[in-house]
Amino acid sequence: MSEQLTARADLELAGEPVIPASRPGLRWAMLAVGLLVALALPWFIYPPVAMDIAAWALFAISVDLLLGYTGLLSFGHAAFWGTSAYVTGLIAINAGVPFPLAVLGGALAAMALAVPIGYLSVRRTGIYFAMVTLAFAQMVYFIANQWRSLTGGENGLQGIPKSFFGIEAIETDSFYFYYAALPVILLGVLVAWRAVNSPFGQVLVAIRDNPARARALGYDVERYKIMVFVLSAGLAGLAGGVFSISHGFASLQELAWTTSGKVVLITVLGGIGTLWGGPIGAGLVVVLEDRLASSGFNGVGIITGAIFIVIVLAFRHGIWGTARNGVAAWMRRRRSGAGGS
Amino acid sequence: MHRKKTLALAATAVSGSLVLAACGGGGPSASGGKISDGKVVLGLLNDQSGVYKDLSGPNSKVAIQMAIDDYKAKYGDKAVAKDIEIVTADHQNKPDIANTKAQEMYDRDKADIILDVPTSSAALAVANQAKAKKKLFIDIGAGTTALTGKSCNKYTFHWAYDTYMLAHGTGGVVVKNGGKKWSIVYPDYAFGQDMNKSFTAAVQQAGGTIQQSIPTPFPNDNFATYITKAQSTNPDVIGIMAAGGDLINFVKQFNQAGLQGKTDLAVGLMFITDIHSLGVDQFQGTKFTDAWYWNFDDQNRAWADKFKEKTGTRPSFAHAGNYSAALQYLEAVQRAGTDDADAVVKQLEGKKINDVFLRNGEIRAADHSVLHDAYLVQVKNKSEVKEDWDYEKVLETIPAQEAFGPVSGDCKM
Amino acid sequence: MSAFLQYTLQGLAAGGFYALAALGLAVIFGVLGVVNFSHGACYMLGAVASAVLLDTLGLSFWWALLVVPVLMFVFGVLMERLLVQWLLRLDPLYNFLLTFGITLVLVDLVKRRYGVSGLPYQLPPGLDGRVTVGSVSLSLYQVFVTLFAVLVCVAVWALLTQTRIGMIVRASTEDAERSRALGINVGRWVTPVFGFGIGLAGLSGVLAAPFRAITADMGSNFVIILFAVVVIGGLGSILGAVVAGFLVGLVEAYGQAYAPSFAQVLIFVLMALVVLVRPSGLFGREEAA
Repeated sequence: MSEQLTARADLELAGEPVIPASRPGLRWAMLAVGLLVALALPWFIYPPVAMDIAAWALFAISVDLLLGYTGLLSFGHAAFWGTSAYVTGLIAINAGVPFPLAVLGGALAAMALAVPIGYLSVRRTGIYFAMVTLAFAQMVYFIANQWRSLTGGENGLQGIPKSFFGIEAIETDSFYFYYAALPVILLGVLVAWRAVNSPFGQVLVAIRDNPARARALGYDVERYKIMVFVLSAGLAGLAGGVFSISHGFASLQELAWTTSGKVVLITVLGGIGTLWGGPIGAGLVVVLEDRLASSGFNGVGIITGAIFIVIVLAFRHGIWGTARNGVAAWMRRRRSGAGGS
Repeated sequence: MHRKKTLALAATAVSGSLVLAACGGGGPSASGGKISDGKVVLGLLNDQSGVYKDLSGPNSKVAIQMAIDDYKAKYGDKAVAKDIEIVTADHQNKPDIANTKAQEMYDRDKADIILDVPTSSAALAVANQAKAKKKLFIDIGAGTTALTGKSCNKYTFHWAYDTYMLAHGTGGVVVKNGGKKWSIVYPDYAFGQDMNKSFTAAVQQAGGTIQQSIPTPFPNDNFATYITKAQSTNPDVIGIMAAGGDLINFVKQFNQAGLQGKTDLAVGLMFITDIHSLGVDQFQGTKFTDAWYWNFDDQNRAWADKFKEKTGTRPSFAHAGNYSAALQYLEAVQRAGTDDADAVVKQLEGKKINDVFLRNGEIRAADHSVLHDAYLVQVKNKSEVKEDWDYEKVLETIPAQEAFGPVSGDCKM
Repeated sequence: MSAFLQYTLQGLAAGGFYALAALGLAVIFGVLGVVNFSHGACYMLGAVASAVLLDTLGLSFWWALLVVPVLMFVFGVLMERLLVQWLLRLDPLYNFLLTFGITLVLVDLVKRRYGVSGLPYQLPPGLDGRVTVGSVSLSLYQVFVTLFAVLVCVAVWALLTQTRIGMIVRASTEDAERSRALGINVGRWVTPVFGFGIGLAGLSGVLAAPFRAITADMGSNFVIILFAVVVIGGLGSILGAVVAGFLVGLVEAYGQAYAPSFAQVLIFVLMALVVLVRPSGLFGREEAA
């Protein structure tokens, strides 16, 4: 059975370097464009929605760190996003510290939760891993539902303040708040970027592609997996914390399995194995949901589900990966065409 | 009639073009009068695709439009609000979407008021936005007492029902009518725990006894164990506090256990749409408290007939509640002569109202809870049903002052 | 003591239902290596179909028990031919994701078409009432569902172990390469087996119709519990799914009776324990991961 599965395993998950290393200029240019888009977003999109996009983008990147770079599909990442949302909220309400500190606290709590869950989950791979993480997330959900004194039960944890050194514009206007919270998100993206472009990231890819070989080379595969799992949970926590501060509350919705499903959908839609996929998927799904909510069309799932099916069937590199490959193929053809004439 | 309509249309067109001209001129100063942005915008934020779609959903827009039409017909040229618009959004029962949409409605759509918002967590999130933006919010669809308790604020009103009303209506009156011994089955989360507490208090106050209170998981599909447990002490009444899909699960399994007709069933929270979807025979004999019933008297029925003409279906309490809230809001704008939120709040606070939805209604100033008569009803037997949606028999009218609880100490305006 | 016996019986009754629903999931994974996320949605379709057939054609419960699984079999065959088959050669995660997408679409389609308040369905005549033996008592329908589920499980087991078709299917589960070398055309059985699994999901939906709320969302949480069942039993193990189904039913019933606040968490605690002690599940082969 195991041979059969490995034989079937398809390396379309692979995250080749986005642009050949010989062209670092292009890479920096793209980074600059990405940053510019992030900065300009609330000018074009309603600021709270822009904030949602940023938070979901980081959340998707955290899932991609596991799925694209380590080959582990977590279907229970809502546990970390949601735990951080609650812990961030509790810190913000009770300690009154500036919100980035509360978010950091939430992220740490998510990482602490990820240690035991990761320890148990990484014993399995592939589809087992997905189901086991899902089950653990359900446990967290039910516990939060019961622990009413802390979480507010199904009423949610309401009235989370946006404390930020008493600067009123940021605390009350979602436009300015976006710029105060964006650095937290970018910090998360930077951590992910550093992780995948470091020796650590190379070990992860090696484990994904051939765990037996990585083990033979002397790497403690399980330990690496737990480490990346905890790191990913921390990023999901950063995102969830910003989300709860931005909305001013945390609810059970944040822990529900549908949230885990939504972030996987965003990640795969955008394209796995590349840090650009998450933001693109997040932009698409969040804006689509926002538009559909006011359009009178009920059935968001029909549209997002159908797009998702098409992506999984025909464009497994996701939107970013497909576009990237298309451009690369076009450039190759042009170059070989130019060489021929 | 026709001429009147044309006039109204012309007025709308004129004021509309004025706004356009004003915008073109680049300054809002020309929009004139006391109405912000030249028009009154009512935002309907509710569940248009999920579990509460039938209860309220898109048909509440029709109800609100009926309120606008009635307001215009009543005041004609003298109407303060000449240009009235409805914007809607689907919050899918998700508090984060409700929160974002509420901000969008207040900021971008220039909504002066948001209506409806079922689901407690979503309603509380919108209440916080109303407070932050200093704009009105009238909740109809959610039942949490936190709206008039811990989360109460100057701009939030709770119009139709809450868990206290449901518990005291059903618990108190059923005991008075002879159902002394109770077993309560409740889902073990905030709503269920509240309901259990309120029911226990109401039953004991009325001289009944609670033999046992049985918590169940939520959500839950399988109630067999709990039904056996609840029945084991031979109670007069089994009270079930589950709602929605779980309630239907429970009732199906209760009937299967052969208890229908043997032990009285009292339901904490139930809507006429639940009866419609599961079938009246499954629920027959069940008692619960309703905030409004379309076939209660001639006034309700006349309104329900108009509603049916437009939608093809009978209204739930939520539809009538949305109508009433929109109408009373517009009346308050009329009295205040402006849509300025603070002035309108002043007009609403303490106001005594009688309309198709609110009987002996009063907007309590202290916590913005809207008191009105409630009804203990029993689901009819199948043979008594004469037409579609003819499901309820009103056993008793619970006077407004008794139906709702005292002002909560948690509420600090 | 009699209370304990009562809860045990109720747990077994619930377990039989879980076993039947998980069986289809296990069969599909065993032969195709696909974890069918849409199993809950197919269960929901089975229940919705019986309600709609009753409403429009007056088709009784007993006919639905026969007709709906066949319809769902056809639905499953179409789903496999049109969508699932293209991803069979890839990592099983892809079909997991695909069936997740299918779930989103199916649930929202049913919501749009049939609303969300739930559809009415009557208990079939002859199955109301209670069976009382000594101090314990179950509703007749519960007893019926349990017996019926056990019967189907035994029939599926017999089909897999006692017939030639079953041998072939099992052989391809155990070792597709060798079966192919022996001249068995594994591919031929993939489509009908998928359809069969979906048919079983539909069948559990029919059985659920009389005692559960029939809504578009009825499968959403159900499928998560089924996942726990098959992980506990060992993915792809038929026997494991059945045994774990009963086990989960019992844990749920005892939990409901003695620790109601934790009844749902208990199932996942059980799962965590199994993963900790025997990662491949109670009846899974160690290398199956």
